[in-house]
Amino acid sequence: MKFGKRLKQQIEQSLPDWRDKYLSYKELKKLLRLITSAPAKMSGSPSEYGKAEAEFMYLLNNEIDKFNSFFMEQEEDFVIRHKELPHRIQKAVDTWGPNGSQPSDLDFKDEMAKIRKEIVNFHGEMFLLMNYSNINYTGLAKIVKKHDKRTGGVLRLPFIQKVLEQPFFTTDLISKLVKECETTIESVFPPPEYSGTGIFQGERAAPGEGIFKNTVAALMTMEEMRRGSST
Amino acid sequence: MEARPALSIQRSGGRQISSFGASAALSPSFPARPAALQESSPKFSDSQYISVERELMHRQPAPLSSNNGVVGHIFSSSSGFSTNLHFSTIEQQERHPRQPPFISQSTSSGKSVMLAHPVDSRVLQSTASSQFNKENNDSWCTETLPDFLDFPMNTTILNNELDVSTNGGIPVPSEDLGKPSDWQDWADQLITDNDALATDWNGILADATVADPAPKSQISLHLPGTPGEICTSGGQSSSANAAPAKQRMRWTPELHEAFVEAVNKLGGSERATPKGVLKQMKVDGLTIYHVKSHLQKYRTARFKPETPEESSEKKLASIEDLSSLDLKTGIEITEALRLQMEVQKRLHEQLEIQRNLQLRIEEQGRYLQMMFEKQCKSGVDLIKGGASSTSENALKELADAVQNSCAKDNLLVEAENNETKGETAKTSGETSQLVGEKQKAVEAVVLENPEPSAGEKSESPPTKRAKVDE
Repeated sequence: MKFGKRLKQQIEQSLPDWRDKYLSYKELKKLLRLITSAPAKMSGSPSEYGKAEAEFMYLLNNEIDKFNSFFMEQEEDFVIRHKELPHRIQKAVDTWGPNGSQPSDLDFKDEMAKIRKEIVNFHGEMFLLMNYSNINYTGLAKIVKKHDKRTGGVLRLPFIQKVLEQPFFTTDLISKLVKECETTIESVFPPPEYSGTGIFQGERAAPGEGIFKNTVAALMTMEEMRRGSST
Repeated sequence: MEARPALSIQRSGGRQISSFGASAALSPSFPARPAALQESSPKFSDSQYISVERELMHRQPAPLSSNNGVVGHIFSSSSGFSTNLHFSTIEQQERHPRQPPFISQSTSSGKSVMLAHPVDSRVLQSTASSQFNKENNDSWCTETLPDFLDFPMNTTILNNELDVSTNGGIPVPSEDLGKPSDWQDWADQLITDNDALATDWNGILADATVADPAPKSQISLHLPGTPGEICTSGGQSSSANAAPAKQRMRWTPELHEAFVEAVNKLGGSERATPKGVLKQMKVDGLTIYHVKSHLQKYRTARFKPETPEESSEKKLASIEDLSSLDLKTGIEITEALRLQMEVQKRLHEQLEIQRNLQLRIEEQGRYLQMMFEKQCKSGVDLIKGGASSTSENALKELADAVQNSCAKDNLLVEAENNETKGETAKTSGETSQLVGEKQKAVEAVVLENPEPSAGEKSESPPTKRAKVDE
């Protein structure tokens, strides 16, 4: 399946807020077609070519800005939530835990369940952000490569260099948060209890559906990309 | 001149904006203004207009850009005050339901704020020269908003201030975040430099009472304190407006910790003001705007820890849980969560690997490019030298270089394979595909250089390898 289509699918499956934050791959491809169809630089009307080219560059840079803004915004949210999580856990333990001020098994379990769900979703969201970053990067790389192929330009290398340094691509912080989240989860989840009876009953045990669906879509996308996609 | 007094109040704000060289193209409150204005208009002469301007700036932390022109003229007249109060309360109420046209660009999450800002400044600038009055009126009302909202965003606070029983700097907890959300949007959009200036106003208001002449002196004291900001805002209207918006702050955990510390020192997220936090943090390059938006997020996170998606699901789940009181259900859910977690973990690993590969591919590409350039140069030199034997050597060197890099690629592939036992097939598939891509790039580079034969030679081994891998 072509990247463009894959991207579209991924976007459709993503959280609503995110949908317009992805790369406008189609737009860029259209512009690219415009560039190639416009008369060559030397002959004909150089202005058309130049204009299309400029628009292409302009859109590219805009996209990068868009990614950066969105990414940093999300990152900020994650940082905040990440810090808050232990507090909430602590509060729950203190209030409803066995040694707490108002020990209540039911409430405690309830709250812990909520917290667990939240952590898992949080983890999922962070992962999705990383995926977002990755997909957009791939898209950018592809489109720039196409551009170079069709116009014989040397846009690619310096551009990619620039992209690699962009905030939206430097996901180290998020990665670290994800890992920390994973360790937190270990502590919050009780040790696996394998009850004899069937564990899963589909409908009720489908927490964080939106995020889960999204991660599944992400997984499929990644597999696709690895299967030797076309440029 | 009739129109002038009527518009004087707005224009005072507008003037402030225009000193930025900008005015917003909004007209929310203008139509409703005249009613209030008619009463007050006869009172205003030019000097009074300036005093009114002053009062307004007193009462509402209006943009300080007006200070540019008006520093010297500080009056207070109680009549002016009362009119202002009256006026501003009316205006405030009027503002409520209104949605200025370009607010529609913004979402309540504020994430569009960044995007909106550059747009705003452009819009502002474009309308600066023309239609001074109308737009200025509007810009003024919306301009004052951010300043209101510099106090922890609240209409109640605004009312309080205007009611003269100033809470000083003590913010009233926002009881409904929903209502001011529109305001916040407006405010955020037009914040720009006003924030820096506005914070001083907040400080002033904190100490000020209604008829107290002290504020005047405070104002004058504060003004020199912020000449830099004023000057920049006045001088570089476009860049100043755009700059704070575009400089997105990257909140690291350390920075956030400092933030939390500062907030706690100031009495918690509800009581802390952006200005206070900013001062407490003492971080270079951090603007009031950054702090403000971050504070907003922080508060939301604390009081609404669930995302809407989660909360709705939780409600369903918790209702079912409570009604059934079934421990088994709890276990099932936990198990399902665990499974989801596992999937996510796996995905995360894969994602990391993919990223690393992409980075390394780029690195390799760069390396190759460098090598080829070197070889080309030496090749060209040798050719210029004319000796056939040396050119053959050059070709050989080239081929060697390519083969070296190919060998490196293979090592890369192998390394990746070792790393991910479970994902070997996929990973190697990907690497080989990416390697294949790179080889094509190599091909292209090689073909470009003056030794096509070397290109052909180096071409075949990589493609062979790529095929083998797949």
